[in-house]
Amino acid sequence: MNQTESGPILTSDGIPLKVSLKKAERINKIRAFLLVLPLLAFILVTFLVPIGDMLARSIDDRQINTVFPKTFEVYKKWDRQGLPSEEVYKTMFFEVKNSEGYDIGKASTRMNYSKSGWKSLLKKSKRKFKKIEEGPYKEQMIAAEKRWGDIEYWKALGQMVDPTTMGYYLNAVDLKYDSSKNIVQQKENRRIYNKTWFKTFKVSVLVTFFCLILAYPISYLLATLPLKYSNLLMICVLLPFWTSLLVRTVAWMVMLQQKGVFNNLMVMAGLIADENRWQLMYNQTAVIIVMTQILLPFMVLPLYSVMKTISPTYMRAALNLGASPLHAFYKIYMPNSIPGVSAGCLLVFIIAIGYYITPELVGGKDGQMVGNWIAYHLKTTLNWGLCASLGAILLAVMTVLYWAYNKIVGIENIKLG
Amino acid sequence: MADKEQFVRFEKVDKSYDGEVLVVKGLNLDVPKGEFLTMLGPSGSGKTTVLMMLAGFETPTSGEIYLDGDPISSIPPNKRGIGMVFQNYALFPHMTVKENLAFPLEVRKMQKSEIDEKVSNALAMVELQDFGSRMPLQLSGGQQQRVALARSLVFEPRLILMDEPLGALDKNLREQMQYEIKHIHERIGITVVYVTHDQSEALTMSNRIAVFNDGKIQQISTPDVLYEKPDNSFVAQFIGENNQLKGKVKSINGNSCIITTDSGEDINALKVNINNVGDVSTISLRPERVAINSTEQFENVFEAKVKELIYLGDHIRTRVEVCGNDQFIVKVPNSYKDSNLQEGSTVKLSWKTSDSRALDLG
Amino acid sequence: MLKTIKATFLGLVSLAFVASAYADITFVSWGGAYTASQQKAYVDTWSKGSGVTVENYNGGLGEIKAQVEAGNVTWDVVDVLPDQAITGCDEGLFAKVDQSEFLNDLVVPPVSECVVPQIFWAYTAFYDKAAFPGKKPKNIKDFFDVKKFPGKRGIHTWANALIEMALVADGVKASKVYDVMSTPEGIDRAFAKLDTIKDHVVFWSAGSKPLELVSSGEVVMALAYNGRIGAAILSEGKNFEYIWDATVLEQEYLVAIKGGNEAEALEFMAHASSAVSNAEQAKYIPYGPMRKSSIGIIKKGEPWFVKEGGNIDILPHMPTTPKVLKRAVIGDPVWWADNGAEVHERFGAWKGS
Repeated sequence: MNQTESGPILTSDGIPLKVSLKKAERINKIRAFLLVLPLLAFILVTFLVPIGDMLARSIDDRQINTVFPKTFEVYKKWDRQGLPSEEVYKTMFFEVKNSEGYDIGKASTRMNYSKSGWKSLLKKSKRKFKKIEEGPYKEQMIAAEKRWGDIEYWKALGQMVDPTTMGYYLNAVDLKYDSSKNIVQQKENRRIYNKTWFKTFKVSVLVTFFCLILAYPISYLLATLPLKYSNLLMICVLLPFWTSLLVRTVAWMVMLQQKGVFNNLMVMAGLIADENRWQLMYNQTAVIIVMTQILLPFMVLPLYSVMKTISPTYMRAALNLGASPLHAFYKIYMPNSIPGVSAGCLLVFIIAIGYYITPELVGGKDGQMVGNWIAYHLKTTLNWGLCASLGAILLAVMTVLYWAYNKIVGIENIKLG
Repeated sequence: MADKEQFVRFEKVDKSYDGEVLVVKGLNLDVPKGEFLTMLGPSGSGKTTVLMMLAGFETPTSGEIYLDGDPISSIPPNKRGIGMVFQNYALFPHMTVKENLAFPLEVRKMQKSEIDEKVSNALAMVELQDFGSRMPLQLSGGQQQRVALARSLVFEPRLILMDEPLGALDKNLREQMQYEIKHIHERIGITVVYVTHDQSEALTMSNRIAVFNDGKIQQISTPDVLYEKPDNSFVAQFIGENNQLKGKVKSINGNSCIITTDSGEDINALKVNINNVGDVSTISLRPERVAINSTEQFENVFEAKVKELIYLGDHIRTRVEVCGNDQFIVKVPNSYKDSNLQEGSTVKLSWKTSDSRALDLG
Repeated sequence: MLKTIKATFLGLVSLAFVASAYADITFVSWGGAYTASQQKAYVDTWSKGSGVTVENYNGGLGEIKAQVEAGNVTWDVVDVLPDQAITGCDEGLFAKVDQSEFLNDLVVPPVSECVVPQIFWAYTAFYDKAAFPGKKPKNIKDFFDVKKFPGKRGIHTWANALIEMALVADGVKASKVYDVMSTPEGIDRAFAKLDTIKDHVVFWSAGSKPLELVSSGEVVMALAYNGRIGAAILSEGKNFEYIWDATVLEQEYLVAIKGGNEAEALEFMAHASSAVSNAEQAKYIPYGPMRKSSIGIIKKGEPWFVKEGGNIDILPHMPTTPKVLKRAVIGDPVWWADNGAEVHERFGAWKGS
């Protein structure tokens, strides 16, 4: 060996060892990369791109700027005191009249989010403007559709000047832009989202809590029973999984409604009076009962698989060391089952927070979750911007929860089995 | 106050799990205070069940167990004050080494300062002073083993049980730990009941060994007696290497007898476990007690054919055919005088009557 | 060996060729008895009917928008609600159609240039005769009057029709309902009326639910789709009675999705919206045709509704007879396309408060 002590170590053919090692490792790295490539591409296409698209939609506001570019140009000069000038009307007139295809339809849908009525205003105007030959246009437009003389419509346009908007996010938390783009509270009778957020979280937390309370002893039993019994019990736990969600939901209705099985039994047993039957259906109680039952397996499975790995000798050792069975359970068994508890809670909470069909069916007036509003706007109003912002907030909340969880418990402590 | 010789006492203890098979049959056993008693036997012989009954995790189906004179069958395990080292240590994975050691003391509501002192003493005893804040999984197997040992001792129990505690360690570490445990036992003089299926472990560590088979103690004795004077062929087989020669009892004369092997040779043997002329018997004979081409006088001398020589450094393991048994092993010391053994050659084997023990058929 | 492959290949090609002589379109509707009636009335009777694949959906434009935006249109003809017919046409999701054939034969003008007429269906109140042995509720005022007729009411979880009915119950004339609704005070008035029954309400969201609620006695009266009530009376022999007051008539249209198999789709829609097809559908479900001439065909053909053991008169179960129309509200999809989101949010807030 002729290298000095401080110099780099060389391989036998004189190349520095680190370089040589890197070279040898590179081929392995490339191979590893190629192996995960299909999955990476799959995740990119099915997960990252849609989420990116959703985030983009939640702030995108270009639909109408491209349809009325000139109007927005002259609109900026308007002082927003009285009605706009003839120039604004005139520009608007021609851009509506000469618009082609579906652009104006899409624009009107967007404009309708800011002020209800834009949709029919533009549609009717396009038809009626055909008859107007020459200026001045302001009076003729107002004569054709008197809403053109309503300053509120013009003010609403101001919210759409910029190509991006936070309006959808504001909407999702009961705020809005006023006509000069200040953030203000939504009209009182339209404040619905904050309440819905609160309700959604409350229900999800309660469902998670009840799932945990019910699943823990069952999982413990499953994990400690001999295999032939635990398999049978496991089938009982999973059996509801195999029946249709709708069938189960309807079954609960039959069970819980005021003239249903449960109330009938209570009346028959003389525990409650016929006219004082309990209201167990079509309210929050029903939502929580039914969702707890549906989501229970998602708590049992991770708990069970973690508990299965807790060696029974831990408990024996604790007893042997002098701990009472309760103390041993609390100090030894429970801490070791925490990874399963965390996994189960996170799983159930995440699923619960997005639930909407079941709550709507059994919840009556209390059955409106955030998911219901997303579905409503996705399907009926086509306000996908609002859907995206609601979805993005859900995503953000989950991310924050996950982050907090990682800080407090540590993500390596989550275990599905 | 109970008899010191009966610190632990099993009295006619039976145990059955399913009501059909007895895994422990009519066990009577006394363990004197301070003794290191090993229960040795193949798996399924009932030894672990006996240990679990003593620890309180299993209850005897009938009979009674006494500890220091008191019946303990109805005392729950956490009130028995018996320390135990489990097969896979059973260190609590979510607690540091110190917390593990402090656990039995906290349960007993000791003062914090007292706990700290006892914990560090216990750590010092197993030479792990610097590892107190580690998690168990950050320790090597041998270190975990020592922590488990320290934890079982830290609350000063009356009795320590060990359930194959060294089973998961590799050979070198196992031997080292055997001595450590033995020395700790000698130092603090605590009573130990140890379970293993490894006979050399049992021989190394124990004051007495109880050999279990089929739910019963076959023989209970000190290691040397057990090795040199097995009471029956199971014990002879189970402990140490052993040559067997089968035959029928030809005559009995006081303490000795003559057995005729199936191939017709008469062997002088010690009468141990046979009763009548005509019984079938197995003669047990330790390989190191057979002399090869010896000029001394022996009661038994036979011609044998060398079948195989295995060189093992300090001795040569020689397989020969004698008295109709071609699996007969002789250990020949690797000294100059015997170095001319050849496979296929004929040699003269000889042994004493007292070394050939006539046992049951086995 | 090679020969076999070749023969198989040619066989497959010719099979594909033969198949292409038939229509290859996907027709998407709401499922259940309604789709069954469509199947019998004009899918099976169409010359290329064997090439029509029928699928179900739960309404809304979400899937359609996703298909059009992705450029992967698998639905060709869809059965839509009127406000969605407007929004979808505006957004360019639907193809425009030639409406000259039926334009003058419709009860109300079509809501957009993209639609062909299907049916009128209606939200109407009903009850089980057994629930009211004495005085029976006669109009929508009675539905909103929990003192006169105590007991729970079943209503749906969205705002459509409820606003209209509340206003009529509050004294607004059926023909003036949308004028009142177009003022902020009008909406306030409707919600104030809804407040009076809020504590006596059971909500439903699936169309079969109000029938179960009334049958089981969980509620004494409910709003429901008239076709469901009719089916329960006609097919299951239920003892239900309609309250034909402030019945809100909703239009139902067929549209062709842009970028789908438009040519075949339009051909199918022309067949489906003919006067005969419109009338034919009423043989199987008590919804009202939108074409005036179809009503004439039915009147002449009574008993029109097909039932084993003898046909039944269908007109008494129709929401479009003069007797019903006199007291009905014809739903205004344009108003709902403009104000739907806002009112729906307010309704959500009202439910939750």
